[in-house]
Amino acid sequence: MAQTPNQRPFGSASSLVSLCNIFIMKVKIKDWKAVAGWRWDVPDDDVCGICRAPFDACCPSCKIPGDDCPLIWGECTHVFHMHCLLKWLGTESSQQQCPMDRRPWVTAS
Amino acid sequence: MLKIWSMKKDQAAAEKKKPKVTAAHIRLQKDMGELQLDRNTTMSFPDPKDRLNFVVAYRPPTGIYRGGEFKFTFAVSQNYPHEAPKVLCTQKIYHPNIDTEGHVCLNILREDWKPVLNIKSIIFGLQMLFLAPNPEDPLNKEAAEHMFNNRGDFEMAVSRTMNGGFLHNIHYDNVHYRD
Repeated sequence: MAQTPNQRPFGSASSLVSLCNIFIMKVKIKDWKAVAGWRWDVPDDDVCGICRAPFDACCPSCKIPGDDCPLIWGECTHVFHMHCLLKWLGTESSQQQCPMDRRPWVTAS
Repeated sequence: MLKIWSMKKDQAAAEKKKPKVTAAHIRLQKDMGELQLDRNTTMSFPDPKDRLNFVVAYRPPTGIYRGGEFKFTFAVSQNYPHEAPKVLCTQKIYHPNIDTEGHVCLNILREDWKPVLNIKSIIFGLQMLFLAPNPEDPLNKEAAEHMFNNRGDFEMAVSRTMNGGFLHNIHYDNVHYRD
């Protein structure tokens, strides 16, 4: 279908701009609500090696992800849910070692 | 209105009767989800309601234990994965790393367990024991020494015990399977 200047496909960016040029809209913002998202600084879809739940979800003993169920990084670069790691370090068999590489666990500062 | 109250009560009672889904259950379910058993390995649940206790059967495709089917009970505790599952061989077999009581000598079931391991790692470990028995880390010292000192004689003893024969006055279980 041949397009004349008056028959631009509706909804494209160019048509919106041209519409705005035709009808100069006066908009008054009465109210606005900001929405923000967050996620831990770990690769996408990564899971905790201990509970196998995503880092962006919480550990099995918590209900809500966030500051109350944080992650913990070791100097060996391995990451876990803090609660999962502390539970492991609390067992005798852990010998205070990282569950991944069995090196002594040192929390990265 | 009264009916709603009684319904709520019934609901609460039903909720209590339901087995609690614990962290161990959740983790185990994830393990099972990524478990892809090879055709020589099968898993069964004697009590389908109890997901923490199951049986793994393995038929070694090669090696001196070929022809047998070896069954292990897995008992997963509520502390899983912080505690290794308890694994026992249900048959009496002649193996340097498995004693006649069924205890299994596998490092990851004991001192080398760590919570990043899963059911798959244990099954790999068990399969390994049958493909490459390790006399350097024995649980059945007699079998280990036998394997060290006279490999050919040891292999004959293994096939004899797998048939359900006697060895040194101990009766072993017949582990052969029928399809």
